[in-house]
Order: sequence, then C-alpha cells, then structure tokens
Amino acid sequence: MNPIDQHKLLVTRRHFFNKTATGVGTAALASLLGSESKAAETQFTPKAKRVIYLFQHGAPSQLDLFDYKPDLVKARGTDLPESIRMGQRLTGMTAYQTTFPTAPSLFKFKQHGKSAMWLSDLIPHTAKVADELCLIKSMKTEAINHDPAVTFFQTGFQLAGRPSAGAWVSYGLGSMNQDLPSFVVMVSQGLGNSQALADRAWGSGFLPTKYQGVKFRSGADPVLYLSNPEGYSPTARRRFLDDLNKLNEMKMAEYQDPEISTRISQYEMAFRMQTSVPELADLSKEPESTFELYGPDSRKPGTYAANCILARRLAERGVRFIQLFHRGWDQHNNLPREIAKQCGQTDQASAALITDLKQRGLLDDTLVIWGGEFGRTVYSQGVLTADNYGRDHHPRCFSLWAAGGGIKPGITFGETDDYSYNITENPVEVHDLHATMMRCLGIDHLKLTYKFQGRHYRLTDVHGNVVKGILA
Amino acid sequence: MSRPFHVNHSGKITMDQPMLTLCKILLAAVPAFAASVEFNRDVRPILSDKCFQCHGPDAKNKNIPLRLDREDAAKADLGSGRRAIVPGKAEQSELIRRVTASAARRMPPISSGHTLSVKEIDTLRTWITEGGVWQAHWAFIPPKRSAAPSVTNTSWLRNPIDSFVLSRLEQQGLKPAPQASKETLLRRTSLDLTGLSPTIGELEDFLKDPSPKAYESAVDRLLASPRYGERMAVRWLDAARYADTNGYQFDGERTMWRWRDWVIASFNRNQRYDSFLTDQIAGDMLPGATLDQKIATGFNRNHRANTEDGIIPEEYAVEYVVDRLETTSTVFLGVTLGCARCHNHKYDPFTQKEFYQFFAYFNNVPELGRAMKYGNSPPLIPAPTDAQRVQLSKVDATIQAAQKKFDQHKPRIEQALSNPASRQPAYWRPNTGYETAQRKLVGNVTFESGPVSSAAKLDGSAFMELTGAGLFDIEDRFTISGWIYSDTIPQGALLTRMADTLRGKGYGIYADKGKLHFHITNNYDDDALRLETPVALEAQRWHHVAFSYDGSRMAEGVTVYLDGKPQEKKVLLDTLYRPFKNAGAKYNEPFRVGGGWGKGNHFKGLIDDPRTYSRVLRTDEISAMAAPIAPGTKQALWSYLDTQAPEEIARDWRQLNELGQQREALERTFPTVMVMAESPKRKETHLLLRGAYDKPGEKVDPGVPATLPPLPTGAPNNRLGLAQWMTSPENPLVARVAVNRFWQMYFGTGLVKTSEDFGQQGEWPSHPELLDWLATEFVRTGWDVKAIQKLIVTSAAYQQSSKATPELIQKDPDNRLISRGPRFRMPAEMVRDQALSASGLLTEKLGGPSVKPYQPAGLWKEVVMQDMDYTQSKGPDTYRRGLYTFWKRTVAPPMMATFDAANREACVVRENRTNTPLQALNLMNDVTFLEAARFVAQRMLTEGGPTSDARLAHGFRLILARAPQPAELNVLRNSLSYHLDYFASNEPASSAFAKMGDSTAPSDLPPRELAAYTAVASMLFNLDEAVTKE
Repeated sequence: MNPIDQHKLLVTRRHFFNKTATGVGTAALASLLGSESKAAETQFTPKAKRVIYLFQHGAPSQLDLFDYKPDLVKARGTDLPESIRMGQRLTGMTAYQTTFPTAPSLFKFKQHGKSAMWLSDLIPHTAKVADELCLIKSMKTEAINHDPAVTFFQTGFQLAGRPSAGAWVSYGLGSMNQDLPSFVVMVSQGLGNSQALADRAWGSGFLPTKYQGVKFRSGADPVLYLSNPEGYSPTARRRFLDDLNKLNEMKMAEYQDPEISTRISQYEMAFRMQTSVPELADLSKEPESTFELYGPDSRKPGTYAANCILARRLAERGVRFIQLFHRGWDQHNNLPREIAKQCGQTDQASAALITDLKQRGLLDDTLVIWGGEFGRTVYSQGVLTADNYGRDHHPRCFSLWAAGGGIKPGITFGETDDYSYNITENPVEVHDLHATMMRCLGIDHLKLTYKFQGRHYRLTDVHGNVVKGILA
Repeated sequence: MSRPFHVNHSGKITMDQPMLTLCKILLAAVPAFAASVEFNRDVRPILSDKCFQCHGPDAKNKNIPLRLDREDAAKADLGSGRRAIVPGKAEQSELIRRVTASAARRMPPISSGHTLSVKEIDTLRTWITEGGVWQAHWAFIPPKRSAAPSVTNTSWLRNPIDSFVLSRLEQQGLKPAPQASKETLLRRTSLDLTGLSPTIGELEDFLKDPSPKAYESAVDRLLASPRYGERMAVRWLDAARYADTNGYQFDGERTMWRWRDWVIASFNRNQRYDSFLTDQIAGDMLPGATLDQKIATGFNRNHRANTEDGIIPEEYAVEYVVDRLETTSTVFLGVTLGCARCHNHKYDPFTQKEFYQFFAYFNNVPELGRAMKYGNSPPLIPAPTDAQRVQLSKVDATIQAAQKKFDQHKPRIEQALSNPASRQPAYWRPNTGYETAQRKLVGNVTFESGPVSSAAKLDGSAFMELTGAGLFDIEDRFTISGWIYSDTIPQGALLTRMADTLRGKGYGIYADKGKLHFHITNNYDDDALRLETPVALEAQRWHHVAFSYDGSRMAEGVTVYLDGKPQEKKVLLDTLYRPFKNAGAKYNEPFRVGGGWGKGNHFKGLIDDPRTYSRVLRTDEISAMAAPIAPGTKQALWSYLDTQAPEEIARDWRQLNELGQQREALERTFPTVMVMAESPKRKETHLLLRGAYDKPGEKVDPGVPATLPPLPTGAPNNRLGLAQWMTSPENPLVARVAVNRFWQMYFGTGLVKTSEDFGQQGEWPSHPELLDWLATEFVRTGWDVKAIQKLIVTSAAYQQSSKATPELIQKDPDNRLISRGPRFRMPAEMVRDQALSASGLLTEKLGGPSVKPYQPAGLWKEVVMQDMDYTQSKGPDTYRRGLYTFWKRTVAPPMMATFDAANREACVVRENRTNTPLQALNLMNDVTFLEAARFVAQRMLTEGGPTSDARLAHGFRLILARAPQPAELNVLRNSLSYHLDYFASNEPASSAFAKMGDSTAPSDLPPRELAAYTAVASMLFNLDEAVTKE
C-alpha cells in the first residue's frame, strides 16, 4: 500500500474510532456514504505529498527571464509581423496602438548546469539550481486579463465560483497533520505595478468552506484571531476551554448531536494552533545559515523571502498545499527597471527554497511550481527606446518552472516561435498543468469530483491531459 | 485537521471488521423504499446521474443514437429488434444487458468515471420487470395537491403539514419527538423569524402566558417586528449576490443598498411573493412603474461588473447577461439552465438554443461591458429614501409658498417693465452657480469689445486661464459657456480644462472644421466621452457656445448649445469610466480659454465672456444668455429682477432661486441604484457557439424552454411576460422552489435537499406530497409570505424538541424525516447579531448605507490596488446587524467568510455549514465578541442581582434564553472564581478585558470583577448552544 493510501486509512480509522468512541460519527459516516462527493481514488503512486506553489502575480515576462530569442535583436523596432500575430486578440490597452514594435530583451542569457538551460542574467540564483528545474516554455492560457487569468489558474475556470486547486487537493487528500490547516496561503508585496488579488484565489468555491486556504500573515496574528486578548495566558485559555468543554459535553449528553463533539475537537485544534502557528512563524531559532541562503530580505517578516522560509517550515510540518503569492509583476511600462527589482526580491529565495528542500530530503516528495498567470508581449507597449520598453499581457505562450516530487529535473519542455508569440511544440494548457500536478500527488484528475448543481465538477473542468513528458 | 469524510468505497481499501459492521448497520438504516420501484424516485436519478451525460438531451450532438431521457426513444426499436427497454422483460432489455456486460461492453464505460452499483442495477431490473412505467419529471409538471394522509396519532397534529410528516414517520415506525420546552421554542422561533434571540422580558412574558394561544401570539409579534424583514432579507441577498463592490479585479464601490432596503421593506410589509418576483424581474416595465418597482429591478444588476482596463467589453457584456439568466433560473425556477450555455443541457431537457432564448430576455439592457470603476454603472436612477422623499416634498412646498409670495409682486413687476426706467445691460446671465475667477494671460492677449464685455483676442498661440474656476471632475455637474468669433471658419480649442497636448486628459469644447466637438477624456482610446454636433460654425460672426454635463459619465448627460439652441449629438465614443483623479492621481490642469488640446490647436479669434457654472443650467437659461435683452423678453424680466427690482421683490426672487438650488442640492444627495431598463431598439440575440462572445450563431428571439408551459396567452414576449409566466398557476416550479427554501431556512435542509436544482440531477424530495401541498397552499393563499412562515412555525413538526437519541441518530441521521426539531449552527450574520443583541450593543436601525464594523487591520490593503483601505465605522454603526456590513467581494468580511456565509460572487441558495478551528478562534478572540462579552458582564453586574450565582444565571439567560441547570451553574461558578483569581494577580489583563472594544466601560465597576465576568461571558458566547439554533 502506498504511503498516502496508508495515511488516508489511518486518518479515517482514527477519525472513525474517535467518533464512535463518543457514540457519534454516524452523520459523518452517512455523508461519507452519501452521493454528493467522490473522493480521489489514488490510481497512481504518489510522487509528491505536498505542493509549494510560488505564484508570481501580475505575470512575469517570459522574454526577459526564460524564453531566449537571440535573433530578435535583428527585428528590433520592426512591427510584429502579421504572420506571427495572426489576428489574435489584444487587450483593450494596446488594441488601439498603431504600431507593435518588436522589443528584444535587454537582458543577457546564458546556459546553466549540466542541462545547459538558457536563463537570463536577471535570475542568477535560479540559474544555480537549473538542474533541479523543469522549465516549461509552452504554457498557454485562455484569459487575457489578470483577474480572469488568476482565477483560471487557481480554479480551472475564468469566473469566480469554483474551488481553488489547493482546496481540491485538501478535499481529495486531507491533512497530514493535527495542528495546522492543510492549505496555507501567504501574500507578499512586490516593488512593481501590482494588481489586485481576491480571496477567491484560495477559496473553496462550492466545496465546504473548511477546504479553503487559510491566509498566514506577518505580524502579531499570523492567522486571523489567533492571539488571545492582551494578558490572557495560554494557561487561562486552557482553563477556559476545559470549562467550555464541560458545558459542551453536558449538552452533548442531552442532545446527542454529533456536531457538538466536532465543535469540541475544533476548539482543541484551535488551541493547538495557538501554539503551533506562532512556533511555525517564529524564525528566531533558524540558524544564521538559513538567512544567508534565502538572502537579506528573509530577515524581514512578510517578504517573499521570509515566506519562502515559512513555506519550507510548513512543508516540514505536513501542510498539504502551500501557496505564496508575490505581487508586482505587471510591467506594462518601464519593464527593464521594474522586472530587475522584482527579481531582486524573488530570485534568491526561490532558488534557496529548492536548495533547502533538497538538503533536507524534502524535494523528492514536494512539488514546487513557480509562475504567473500569463506571459507578456514581444512588442512594446508604449514607446520602445534604447533602454526602455513595456509589455502587455500575452496569453498565447509563457514560461513556468516546476521541480521536485514527480517532475523530471533539468529539462526544458516545449518551444515557441521566434517572437515568443505562439507555441510551436508541446503546448501545455492550464488544465494540463493541473492534471499533471494532481498526477504527481497520486490523483487521477478525472476521478476527483464533487457534485454541485447536478454536475460532477472537477478542477480540470472537462479538459486536462497529464503532461507525461515532464514526469520523472 | 483530519478528514471526516470521503474515504474510498470502491473496495480498494480493505476495511477492518468493526468498520464493515458499522457500514452494514448504516446501510440498513437507510430508509427502506416501498416494495415497488417508482420511476421518478428510484430510476430517474440513476439514469440521469450515470447515463444522461451521453444518452441525454445532448446525445445528438455527440452522434449517439440512444436517448434515455425520453420514453419514446428509450423504448424504441434501435434496429434489428434491439430495444433499450422492453417493458416487463428485463433480460431482453439492451439496457440491462449492457450494464451487466463484461468490461469491454459494459455501460457506463470506464472512461466516463461512472459505475453502477449492484443495488442500482437491481433497481433498474425490478423497474423493467414491473412494467417499466415511465413518469414525467416530477418538477416539470404542476404540483398536485393531495389530501392530508391519515395517521394514527391524530392528537399530535396541529396543521396539515403535520399529517404529511407524521405519516412518513409512522411508515418508518418512528414517533415524533416531544414538544420543545417553552424557552427553547421561543428562542428557536425568535431566531428563525427575526434573527435575534428573545429578550428576557419577551421570554418572561411568554413563560407567564398560560394561554394555548401564547405561542401563536408570540409568532404574530415576531412576524410584525421590523427585524423580521431584516432576517428574511439576508438569504435573499445571498441568492441575489448582493454586494457593495463590483467584484473582479479593481472591485470598486457601488451603491445598491437602496435595493437591499427595498427587500427588507418588502418582507416587512408582507408583499405577495408573485408581486415580489414581478417587481424584481420587470418592475420597470409595469404600467406607471413606481420608484420602488424600479428599485426592485436592481435584483438583476447585482451581478459583478468588470472594470479592468484591458478587458474586451463585449466579452463581459455577455457574462452579465449569463449571470442574470443563471441567477433568475436558480432563484425562481430551481433549474440549472446555465449548463446549456455551450451545448444542450447534459441532463435536463433544455437546448442550447433555449438558453439563448431565455438569455434574450435579459440582453436588452443599455449597459456597458466595461463598468464604471467607481460607483454605479448605467442604467441607474436616483433613489431617494423615504426620509429624503419627505424632505423633498417639504422643499417643494416651500418653493410653492415662495412662488406664491413672489407672484404677488407680478403687477408691480409688469408695471416696472412696461416703462423701463434705467438702462439695462446688453445681455442677461444667470448668477447662481456662477464661478468667479482670476484671469491669467499666457502669451500675447489683447482685448477688444465683444458682444457682452471685453473679448480676448487670441493669436493662435496665446490663451487665457481662469484660475480657480472650472475644476470639475467627471462626476460633477457643470456648465460652460462663452462667445466666439473667428475671421475664418472657427478652428481649435475654445473652452477647456484639458492637458495642452493632443488627445490629452480633461474636458472641453473645441471647433474642428467648423463643427463643435465636446470631449471628456481620461484615455483617448478607451476611457473617454466624445461627441460632435453636425451644425457648422460660421466665419466672421459671433456664436454663443455652451455645454452642460450632468456628471453621469454618459454622452446622454451632455447637452451642447449653439447660439442658445440644444444641438443634435453625434456620439463618437461613450466609454468614459474613470475620474481624472482616479485613485489619488493628481490632476491640476487649469481652465483655459482658447488653449488646451496641444499647441497646434489653439484658437485664433475672439472669445468673450467665458463662464463656468457648478450646476446644469436649464435650456431656457442658456437660450436667454444667447440673445440680447429686448423689451418683453424673459431676459428683460430676469435682468430686472436680478439687478433693478426694489429690495422686497429682489429678496423674494432670490429666495425662489435659492430654493431651486437647494432642491437641486438635495437631489444630488440622493443615492442611486442600478436598475434594469430596455434599450429603445431591441438588441439582437444570437446563439453563441461554445458560449463564446465572439462566435455568434443563429439569431434567436426571446422564449421559454419548451419543456415548461408556454407564456400565458396575451403576455408580452419580454421580461414582463416572463414574470407573468413565472407567476402563472401553470408554472410548476416557482411556488415549489420558494416554499422549499423557506423550509430549508427552518429545518436546515429543504424537502428537496438540492434547493438549487429541481432538475433530473436534483434530489428526490423527502416528502413530495408535503412539498406539493405547501406549494399549492402558498398559491392558494395569494402567495402570502408571512402566512406560509406562520404555517411552518406553528406546525407540531417544527415545535418538536431537537434532542436526539442514539436510535434516532441511527434511523434518521440527518433529520430528513423530521423525527425531531431542527438543530444546526446559526448562519454567519446570526452568530454576530445574537451576540450584539444579547449584550445590548445592537444598533437597531433599519436600512441605510452599509457600515464597516471591526476588522483586523490591513486585510484590504494586502491584496487590493491603489491602497484602498478599510476605514472602520464609528459609534453606533459599529454595532449594526450583519446584513448591513459592507461586503467587498474580493475580500469578504472575515467573520462572515469564516462562518460559511455565501460569497456574494454568484447566486447561492443553499446554506453551507462547516465546523472549523478558525470559527473557534474568531469567537474567542475577535473584539466583536469580546466587547459583547464585556457588555454582558456589565449587565450581569448591574442587573443580575446581589449574588454571583444570580449574576451568572442572568448572563446565561441573556445569551441562551434559559436558566442554567445546577451542574452548568457550577461550572460557571468555578470559572468565575478562577478568573477572579487570575485577574487579581494580572492587572494589565484585567484592565484590557475591562476595556474591550471602542465603547467606554462604566467607571464605577471594579475592573477585576468586570474582567472576570467578561471572561465567563466570552465562554458563554463560545458554547455550542450559543451559536446553534436548537
């Protein structure tokens, strides 16, 4: 029996016996036998137990980071040929532009690692872990604007209402720990043009609310309402809960409502979280070497780098789905300057996370994904000058990397045309990425469904193919 | 967090013995079906869920010949004598052969992800063997009113509901639970009908009243309370996806609370449900539609609206209509018509074409695909509140009186005008709203005599600035006017507040090849309003030019005048949506006369008397400005009154004008609301291939799905006709769907559990005859909403105790048989409201703009754009009911989200209830609940009596509406004593507890005691019972 099945069975048994021990559990078991949901059947041996998804919000430019187009220099300033654009739709921001001047990247690319992966000078740290990465250059999406595109990436559908991938995974696989939520989200602020994020990006949609991502924040209350009121000690809280439990147990004896027992256990978990979350968020016991690895920003709570350390700590503690959002990648103008600042905030910590997971033996069963919601145009938005350009949204092709559990390391997958405008080889749809992510977790994306409004929904909607070429 | 359900039941995981035994017990406990199989109850759900996806309404598009959703097709000869269903002969039926075939030929195929259980196959076999009797889908045929079934225990019955419930219980060999205690019952009913627990006074009155009518009187009292409308409104707001922001990315504020208040008022005045529906679907189309009826149509404008800069507006215009269709069909019809957007419905008999026909009813709104970034998007109307309407009528009465007073001067005025004593000026100009300014000359400007005053002579590069005037933004109302003259055909910028660059930002009027152009520009290409007038300006003559703009951001709100006459408008672009000072942007352009619009476009000629007004001048005012004063004209009259009349006349004239201004100022304070409206010229609707906005297929006319009855004879084929169709007695769905949701509100689960889906994938009703009886009763009593609530809460079924026994939990785990009273966690807003009301903090104010209670700092700022932050309300607004909490779609109020509130992104009609540690943290540590606890503590200390036991019992009663049992009191006593000790040795904690919240604590209460009682009260708020309706 594979580890996750085994785990599932244990969890279920434990749950089951806990419940029956107090004479309840029938309601839960009845819903378990019920028809609304169909949990994952783990047809595949899971390679990954957890996911760390580093979402680069705003859409980083593939042309300046990953998708090397040396010949573009020759086309500099010339209009994007119609043979490349092929009438594809543009956003309302550049649709009125009268020229579409080709803007080659100002940044140098070099080959890195044994895999000789081409990467830009903007990401020297990432370059050092190139052999761990699977760089997908042929991602594509259907959405052309941030909100629908992020919603699509997060939920498999452009409009609000569907569960996020993390919620699906929590629902399908459950938690691996008793003290922390199974889906944790952290948001950090970038230095460039930021777009809005919405709670729905980690929402549970039509799945029960308990599967939604719990946002961890920097500051006194890493989880909303975690801290006791000023001066109220854990001992006092313990006493408070003991009395509360007594009263709730009296109620239970009289009413026999299984929800009361569940509530008692949820209060106990809340109490455990009051210890486990601050312990988790407290980086003071991390050795100096950790901060050196993740970079100077990592000493500042709330930064992307600090969140990367927290991501590793969450992974160590059995959190199933960890998602970071780093804002500020929406470089319509002044791209060269702004993207450099964004990379300064993210490059070292992203690479450090890979290194750190690896040295702790966690990379093998952790799937790490790094990427934004779409790509950016080869033509300049606004005026192209010697040292400046902007790039508009580009859904037709963009780059993303994955590493760790189940993913083939040190490969570059997919290809785009000379303008990084269209995919020429191995397109990977967002649904395909989702299907592949599920596959790494041992889930058949076709089988993890939830019945809502008469339909058996899944994360991949009615699409999705596992990208076998990137599987280890 | 362990995972309470979803284990694999495919048999792949070996279960150990106790588990298997328990499963067997549970399976045995599933209510046994009657001996024979019934198609609708037993067979249709299997076919629908497992087969229709391929062999259903969309089969043709998949080139699958067999359909199992229609009797004729399912029993037809498929060629060579094979028939899917041969009635009476299961083994000859291809259906049975295939579902029992070996893997390669078995249906459903493995690739479908579906499998049939042995029990399901047996059901199909039995049904065919018993004759394979087909039934139309129950929900698509009108409800049948059955007589109340006979039962044994007739003494239990209180109204017909009980016969249906008891009959089912007796079939299952169950007895109803005893009646709940009076305390429990009053708390349950108060929570259900008003969302608040009873006060101690209400409780005591009820306990003291021995009359058999006591409960009914309490119900009547609750139904008459204004809190009833608030309670009923919340679930309607969930269904109608009401929110205070636009959603999507930017998520700016909108104002729909007038619609929300209309809903509350509608429930409070017990508006009939058919009329409630009609007003919301088509109130604007009713003859002589009232303001309220127009406001009601906001229902279909509550959908999200996208304002992102880069979107393609046509794409979202489609989404809004789809949202209306989905919401309307879910809320009123309980069908998932939205599933037929891209293809025929996979389960229900709705074609894709029918989707677009229904879509067409909502596709004729003159709206923008890209909505306004801030505020409401058209169509919208001013929607004064009742208080404002009263104020307005007062102002109108004052105006009438002032007019009357002024009219008394008429003879004197006429006399004065008939012999003009002194010289009049050449022209008259209004002097209200007129902005005075400093002239600043840029370049070589000279002056010469103009028609009105001294005209600026501009050489094509020089211009004049009016410092301090004309600093309007796009939501302001204003008027600009002036005289122009040019030796050649006029060309260039005339009167502008516009960046001095080509296509710059700002507003203004300019001449291009002799035609007047009017612009308001944020971004020339896509965020601008541009129009031109067809009449040509002439060379070598003075023209009076003016425009007024009403702040609506729409071309419709602009009037351009030439020589005093309103001009025809040719609209070039009408997509203005961002203010100049968008999200803190700076915009400091001055008002220019003859400049703006770039150096090459400065005006060469004369401009006289440029004027800016901070109001919309009337047409008669502007035409009066454009013509010289002559005897007998209104100019002569107005000029006399403005400048020459004796003080007693001038004073009354000024008074009249000021009142007019006051009236306009008052109107400007009216909130607006987005409403439905019909475009004058019907927009064409096309079927959209694969549902895509840019792939139109055949043109379709509005229409209703053929499976359902046709529009009533004589009904117009528009939204009004659609409302008539929905409320007609033939409609099988509307009444059933409505009563089912009422039932769901009381019992936690509807008689049809899938309250959002009455289609073939929906769940078979637990009590079909009861559902139909309630639906017909609802219609029979004239869709009387309060009456149906009263009927339910006065039933014996509702009044049962919610105490369960292990036997009951086994036989009726989810209480679908109603073998006991309802017991479940309160909805989010109720958790908040009951804490505020128990503590006495609640502000009982009905309606008004949404408020911002406590919220942890920074929640908005972390994720929104342009630093929009949450500014907490102060004072009484901190303590309003949850339904008034400002709802930002992308960052929902955290307590609401934690307690499973509907997300308000899209329509939600079924409540979701989970039980999580985050809820525990919220109740323990959120200042909302801690401050409420402190208030309860204050009441314990001041009202509770002299002993600590009496005080504790008082607090217990405030929160739980009952007295504590001795064992419970004992726990409270120990807790209090612990906390008294704890706070004695912990002064900072004690003073923090005693000050919890923004409100001040009475200074005469000792902090240590207050803190200790606060801790106990906080524990009471955390009890399962405190957050549970039982």
